[in-house]
Amino acid sequence: MIAENNSGGRAKGTGATIIRYRGVVKRYGAFTALDGVFLNVHAGEVVCLIGPSGSGKSTLLRCTNGLESIEGGDIEFEGTMLPRDERALRAVRQRMGMVFQSFELFPHLTAQQNVSEGPRTVLQMNQADANQRAAALLDKVGLADKAPNYPSALSGGQQQRVAIARALAMNPDVMLFDEPTSALDPETIGEVLSVMKKLADEGMTMVVVTHEMSFARRVGDWVAVFDAGRIVEQGPPRQIFDAPTTERTRDFLSHLGWSG
Amino acid sequence: MEFDFAVITDHARFLASGVGVSLLLAVLSGATSLATGFIVALLRLYGPPWLKPAVVLYIDSMRAIPVLVVLVWTFFALPIVTGLTMPPFFAALLGLTIHLAAYAAEIVRAGIESVRPGQTRAALALGMSRSQILLRIVLPQAIVRMLPAFGSLLSITIKDTAIASVIAVPELMRQSETVAGQSFQPIEVYTFAMLVYFAMLFPVTRGVDLFYRRVAHLGRS
Ligand SMILES: Nc1ncnc2c1ncn2[C@@H]1O[C@H](COP(=O)(O)OP(=O)(O)OP(=O)(O)O)[C@@H](O)[C@H]1O
Ligand SMILES: [Mg+2]
Repeated sequence: MIAENNSGGRAKGTGATIIRYRGVVKRYGAFTALDGVFLNVHAGEVVCLIGPSGSGKSTLLRCTNGLESIEGGDIEFEGTMLPRDERALRAVRQRMGMVFQSFELFPHLTAQQNVSEGPRTVLQMNQADANQRAAALLDKVGLADKAPNYPSALSGGQQQRVAIARALAMNPDVMLFDEPTSALDPETIGEVLSVMKKLADEGMTMVVVTHEMSFARRVGDWVAVFDAGRIVEQGPPRQIFDAPTTERTRDFLSHLGWSG
Repeated sequence: MEFDFAVITDHARFLASGVGVSLLLAVLSGATSLATGFIVALLRLYGPPWLKPAVVLYIDSMRAIPVLVVLVWTFFALPIVTGLTMPPFFAALLGLTIHLAAYAAEIVRAGIESVRPGQTRAALALGMSRSQILLRIVLPQAIVRMLPAFGSLLSITIKDTAIASVIAVPELMRQSETVAGQSFQPIEVYTFAMLVYFAMLFPVTRGVDLFYRRVAHLGRS
């Protein structure tokens, strides 16, 4: 009984539902990557997706902003079904920021230009305003002094913080994070997580795929455990980490060496 | 054996005009093959599906046919087929372009395809359109990555201009042949020609290398 009844016990679950996944099915040829996913994301909430490799967490994120199409079920964003048409999808994508495991900064643009690129090309903002916004966001992620640097002259943690600023520059309603710290050195993970924590504290709605269990526990309002394309358990972090109700969750957490 | 390089100075203006024609032909055919190569590659990658077999056939055939054959065909056969006669210089420009654009197209395609899909995904996630992504995100990186290959192509272009001598384009090789024939001093004349080709090519390959080293990071994602 995973479907729909996931509103109880949510810390900040009073906001409206921003994303609603209803029986989402995604196939790659004969392989079913998502096998009926039900999940609600409420305004202002941090929802963490955890689970073993290959269980479909990234796939769900990519379906959320239409980078992948789905074969079954539906995804509702701010009360409207995700469109299929490219132009309408672009409008939706502007409302969702996305941060990737491999940063994906544009190497031919400086940090500042990376952040102003979205406002410039997508929002058609003038150069001065876009630069101002970029400068403010770089300052917010603690990189004001790196504005003129190209990505090749930034550390991994710095690149990821620029990537967060780039996503924020579109003024999104939701931020999607796909393992934002998995490619980082242990020393720089903290700087990225603290930027994310700050965003969460400001009330940003966030969907975060992560292997950082301590982050999910501390910052997450809701945790969904994936296995083989399904959510096998979801609930507040207390439940998932201290009193998991399914064998799968217990297996996954003990595999990670999580001791509660 | 005695060498007398006075033959070079005696025919300095004649040979220099050949150098000028070679350079002009190289620069023009380099530019037209590059432009055509971009268009062909974009058609192959993003063009209508019905056009792709034709584009692939063109690229594959140009890679299989010697440039000399293309050039001679352009000069002697094309006018008969089309009824249009061309001065040798234009036939050479056209033939070289037809041939080299196929290579340029493959360089452009490989460059575009080497930009990893995550870059496109990141740009899509911002809400950018496919054409914005191509022009603002993918091509700038791809062009940086193409530089070394373009450098080689440009040197091949300069070298291939020598083939235009067979259709009587008065470029360096043709002029050298003329001087060598009249003076009976092929060693001096052809040595000079070799040196001039080297002098034209060396700065190009070196220059591209140096430039690439400075900008390589702009294409590294
Ligand atoms: N483009 C694709 N084509 C075919 N199969 C794919 C594709 N993308 C993902 N898959 C498959 O779908 C499954 C789910 O992949 P996904 O990347 O969503 O897993 P994940 O939970 O994010 O894992 P990880 O923790 O390793 O990132 C995997 O088995 C993967 O091999
Ligand atoms: Mg993943």
